[in-house]
Amino acid sequence: MTSIGTGYDLSNSVFSPDGRNFQVEYAVKAVENGGTAIGIRCKDGVVLAVEKIISSKLLKPGANKRIATVDRHVGIVSAGLVPDGRHFVSRARDEASSWRATYKGPIPTSALANRLGGYVQAYTLYSSVRPFGVTSIVGGWDSEAELAVDGQVGSGPKSGAGGKVDGAKAGGPGLYMIEPSGLYWGYYGAATGKGRQAAKAELEKLDLSSGKLSLLEGVKEAARIIYVAHEDSKDKEFELEMSWISSLDGPTKGRHEEVPKDILEEAEKAARRALDEDEEEEDKGAGEQMEE
Amino acid sequence: MDHFPGTWGRPRNDVYGAYDPSYLQSTGPKTHTTSPAVTGTSVVGVKFNGGVALATDNLASYGSLARFTDTKRLRVFGDQAVVGFGGDVSDMQYLDRLLESIDIRENYSSHGNMLNAKNLHTYLAKVFYKRRSEFNPLWNHVLVAGFDGEGKPFLSSADLLGTTFSAPHLATGFGAHLAVPILRRLFPEEKPIEEISREEAVDALKQCLKVLFYRDARSLDKYSIAVITKEGIDLKEDEQLEGQSWAFAERIKGYGAQTV
Amino acid sequence: MTSLMDHQARETVGYSFSESTAGVKQHGFYPYTDNGGSTLGITGSDFAILAGDTRSTSGYNINSRMVPKVFKIGGDDETGEGANIILSVVGFAADGTALKERLDTVVKMYKYQHGKPMSVSACAQRLSTILYQKRFFPYYVHAILAGLDEEGKGALYSYDPVGSYEREQCRAAGAAASLIMPFLDNQVNFKNQYIPGSGEGHALVAKKPEPLPLETVKGLVRDAFTSAVERHIEVGDNLQMVIITKAGIEEVYHPLKKD
Repeated sequence: MTSIGTGYDLSNSVFSPDGRNFQVEYAVKAVENGGTAIGIRCKDGVVLAVEKIISSKLLKPGANKRIATVDRHVGIVSAGLVPDGRHFVSRARDEASSWRATYKGPIPTSALANRLGGYVQAYTLYSSVRPFGVTSIVGGWDSEAELAVDGQVGSGPKSGAGGKVDGAKAGGPGLYMIEPSGLYWGYYGAATGKGRQAAKAELEKLDLSSGKLSLLEGVKEAARIIYVAHEDSKDKEFELEMSWISSLDGPTKGRHEEVPKDILEEAEKAARRALDEDEEEEDKGAGEQMEE
Repeated sequence: MDHFPGTWGRPRNDVYGAYDPSYLQSTGPKTHTTSPAVTGTSVVGVKFNGGVALATDNLASYGSLARFTDTKRLRVFGDQAVVGFGGDVSDMQYLDRLLESIDIRENYSSHGNMLNAKNLHTYLAKVFYKRRSEFNPLWNHVLVAGFDGEGKPFLSSADLLGTTFSAPHLATGFGAHLAVPILRRLFPEEKPIEEISREEAVDALKQCLKVLFYRDARSLDKYSIAVITKEGIDLKEDEQLEGQSWAFAERIKGYGAQTV
Repeated sequence: MTSLMDHQARETVGYSFSESTAGVKQHGFYPYTDNGGSTLGITGSDFAILAGDTRSTSGYNINSRMVPKVFKIGGDDETGEGANIILSVVGFAADGTALKERLDTVVKMYKYQHGKPMSVSACAQRLSTILYQKRFFPYYVHAILAGLDEEGKGALYSYDPVGSYEREQCRAAGAAASLIMPFLDNQVNFKNQYIPGSGEGHALVAKKPEPLPLETVKGLVRDAFTSAVERHIEVGDNLQMVIITKAGIEEVYHPLKKD
């Protein structure tokens, strides 16, 4: 950060001579301190998970949710400044509802990510505002079935004009990550926050691009990855919050919901077990080294 | 030469009288719906032991034209309430979308949708009343069925003026004339709703729809029926009144007694 | 030809179509309806009664046999517990409900802001204001407000739809008002009742009205309604009686004819 003190970091939307927007970079710093959040795009759904650091023993367990629902089929989890995340979600809900008002149907996950990307980006353009202190993961399931238009009362023509093409494929899982700059990409697996490096390393091992991982496996992996990512800040207690969106024939029927308690607990148990096994191996390795 | 471009190409005043410029006005008093366009007819509902049953036919009429014959006029809200719509179909669609947006918002909190049928009815009645007070009515008469805050079966009516009332059995439109007397005879006031079974309720509704099919010219023998119980909503939207036929009408001459 | 001539004479224009599209478009929508029913209020020295039938009608149809018209105003909860004012509304039921809810809110707010319940006289004036504020799109209802005044006497105020009001001993409103009111004039205010043998012609001494005991008044209310039911098709089903005394508010229902 050799450019600090040159003045180019004092106002938003101002470029430094080497083409950087320092306010955005500082926002990224805020994100890097936040609890780890991840998303996994599975073949039959999407999982979102977040490591919620318990900042006070007076906080009620299970309350103060960090993953939010947008419309019915999208979930958003953010790392960074929590209030910024809330505002971001509020905007996402407005976008989803205005989409519905216009198109009489749910917003596709890609379109929502695009609009949110545009929204976040706008906060890098003006000196009167600061960029978002969050990186957000947007996961959704676009219905694979022919959807009725909102308020539809009939079934329309069975043949001729308006008749439907058989076997046309539509919908599926969507996972996007939006950064303080407004930059967003679609991902197979996304991670942000403090433990993102470790989480990303784990996500890469999953071979997500082959599209074989099932949603239930995804839930287990997500839990494990959050536990792995927590290893570096072991001194702090945390709570795991997880949500999922399945295909229409899956457990959530295309809706974004909290992962049910029993499945969550089972996944956490498996995660702890996997971690213990890793530790044992490491201990063994370390012991051998010691003997040398 | 006429030097007023505004009058060029117009009928001559000395022949046709002064031009009435109000024809050209693109602005004017703001106009609203003053009559419905595509309409649904009756909605019928009965309370029974442990729930409520609601039925409509599947017809949407355009005046006297049977315009759409697969119209679903029972709309589900959450998992414990159904609204049966009579009247303007586009206003019904507007309200359906309005209710859907409420349901989406309600589900943002983790405890889910907390609005029961009674709350929903209060809300709809206030929407109707507000719109009638703005002289921009939503041209519907609805029945709301489900459960109240104490978990008891709930059935109530609201119309385009914001008028509300509740009773063990209700019907809108033509059904108010034809179905209500049938229901009042089948389930007299002395008979508590705890003594009415689900089957009795459903049969009664079918009976009402049958009578309506023959006596309401804007009705159909295809219908939808919803049964709301604590177990959930059983909604069937493509039902057919069995064995009904208007074929006998071919043979009717004069006022009925005539044979030749 | 004659008709054409007539036309020209009137319009001074030559073309055959005379209907002008100018002017305000006529609305086919009428924002009111009459839901029938009747209400009645009588006061005594230490009580007030408001009563109404529970029938709701539209045209010749009975919407429901159980739609109460008398409400507790400014209570602490949904049941109206803790209220010291009652209101009856009859006419257009949707306006009645809206009016009741507005007044209820106003009286509640008064209590929150001033830390004491609103007096009946203050509430009466406020109700008049609410009605008059909608002078050009009125609440189409006849309202009667009742409670106990500062001296503990029964207080009753009756209103027209645009807020004109006065305190009275008794008042009937709604569909059967014209049937009940003369009965009340005679039985409560002793109109046309004279002391026997007090004189001839103009020398006859009128019987002086005085507050009636509660049981007598209850009897009058029931008689008034059973009679009204016989003669008016929009009145019937059940009689709702709400009695306000210093002990609180009592609400009772009696069956009426359902034909």
